[in-house]
Amino acid sequence: MNILEVSELNVAFPTRRGLVRASQNVNFSVKEGEICVLIGETGSGKSVIGQAVLHLLPQNARVSGSVRYAGEEILLISEQKFSRLRGHEISLIPQNPTGSLDPLMRCGQQVAEVLDVCGVPKEEHSSRTTSILSALSFSDPELVAASYPHELSGGMRQRLTTGIALAASPRLLVADEPTKGLDYAARKRTIEMFLNLKRRGTDSVLMITHDLELAEMIADQAGVLYSGELVEFGPAADVFSSPLHPYTKGLMAALPKNGMTPMPGMCPGLAQLPDGCYFHDRCPTPCEENHVHPLMHEVCGRQVRCSRC
Amino acid sequence: MHHYLIKRTAYLILTLVIASMFTFVVVNATPGEPAEVLARHLYIGLEEVAPPELIAEVSERYDLNKPLLQQYLEWVGGILHGDLGHSILFNKPVDRLLMLHLPPTILLTAVAMSFATIAGLVLGIYSALHQNKISDHIIRVGTIFSVSMPGFWVAVMLILVFSIWLGLTPVSGYSGPQYIILPAIALGLHTMASIIRIMRTSMLETMDKPFVTFAKAKGLPMRRVICSHACKNAFLPVLTVIGMSFGALLAGSVVIETIFSWPGIGAMLMKAISARDLVLIESTIMVIVFMFLIVNFVIDLLYHVIDPRITYE
Repeated sequence: MNILEVSELNVAFPTRRGLVRASQNVNFSVKEGEICVLIGETGSGKSVIGQAVLHLLPQNARVSGSVRYAGEEILLISEQKFSRLRGHEISLIPQNPTGSLDPLMRCGQQVAEVLDVCGVPKEEHSSRTTSILSALSFSDPELVAASYPHELSGGMRQRLTTGIALAASPRLLVADEPTKGLDYAARKRTIEMFLNLKRRGTDSVLMITHDLELAEMIADQAGVLYSGELVEFGPAADVFSSPLHPYTKGLMAALPKNGMTPMPGMCPGLAQLPDGCYFHDRCPTPCEENHVHPLMHEVCGRQVRCSRC
Repeated sequence: MHHYLIKRTAYLILTLVIASMFTFVVVNATPGEPAEVLARHLYIGLEEVAPPELIAEVSERYDLNKPLLQQYLEWVGGILHGDLGHSILFNKPVDRLLMLHLPPTILLTAVAMSFATIAGLVLGIYSALHQNKISDHIIRVGTIFSVSMPGFWVAVMLILVFSIWLGLTPVSGYSGPQYIILPAIALGLHTMASIIRIMRTSMLETMDKPFVTFAKAKGLPMRRVICSHACKNAFLPVLTVIGMSFGALLAGSVVIETIFSWPGIGAMLMKAISARDLVLIESTIMVIVFMFLIVNFVIDLLYHVIDPRITYE
């Protein structure tokens, strides 16, 4: 069963230089108990998808399309209705653990807030917080609960934000670039944590990342974004081992283990997208009918946006 | 912490010593021979010219002939013994005058500060949460207006509108709670505008911080995201403005108290300055400086209470 179905999702931001189309006609779904990873470079519109799912887009964003959570339309529902889902049904693992913790509030209280939202009675907060913290392998959970975020190490903060995201046992986790800006050790721990989630097999995760190694290790389904569009979506093993779209091929070739061959050119700006194929200028095997915008179509059990495939 | 308190106290004393020197030099360097101005204020009309014999007599009587250094040391020595000196103009000990006039000033400043802080925070937060809406624009125009208009003009306009045209408040005086409304608004308006501006900017900045996004993602209702996360963090820079504004309020009270016939040290200082009542001016200014330093000391300690990242070692 699909826990999350995104169809024809469009997100645009009006700016002085014109409409920036951050995400265009994005279609994908996340099955229950599956890890779906969206890959893309900076500016490919991957983060706005996560923000749209969680209703965290800036106020000036123009959103259309449909996002269904467990069969229920959630994209255009009121903030009031949606806030019931946040935290206990859908929760976020933020990209910046240090910045995501309120510097003026004790860590225990920041965990307890989620419990409060889920209706856990006040007198159980401290015992539940302690058990959540010990489950995150903190050796002295009471001390951590009484500390302020600046008194913890970077790795501890990472574990804490993950703990807050998991506190209410949500059905869907959205992880927005969980390894961005982390040092080697913290990144390794984060990857291990997601591998644990994968092994458990019960959590549904939508992960947004540009960390291809992480994606390859944990993804069940993988989607590749280019200039706001999905260009390839399918089972992760296939996408990584035999990419179909020339952009995906280029990304894989740029990995260190595949010879680190860089792709020429830059992706077009989201405010001035060409009419035809967005990848045409960089394509190693360009086709003649470049003025026609290619549509997603199914090739060997995968969705690909390329008229050559 | 103890170490910090000792250090702060040492700084406080040092600041007071430097302030006393500055005050003494500036007061004595003000154009116009003190003895002559005093003679005109005490013995003859203000528009008349004091004869040299009278000036000599006044100088002799009030020790104005002594070298400045000696005068300074005698004044400071007196303060160290708990004697703030004797006012020539009012013919009363300075501490008596301060006991009489300090409470109204403290009351006025406290009410003006509370008004400025509460109104400033509420309007600043409101403005930030309604960014670029009509209410935000109105508040911002009002803020620019309040910052640019001088206090005495605002005071006169308030009297004109609320006392004379609408008849809602008394024009001036000090005999009931309703008398404090206009002077407190006139005095606090400028500070309120500064607090609105800082709070609005700080709030907008804080609302974009990842911890606010994460608080939303946790499922907290918007009211709670704003109250328990955003406002508290956005308030920190405002605290600095409050400490600084306290000095501006004390300085502003000189003019505002005179306009509203408020019997505080501001109005008293005004009279003392025009009559060159040197000891009264100097001692009153020292008390004002002392109050300003104490308030800022308390605010520094408040930082630590609000923000656990700040420690005093």
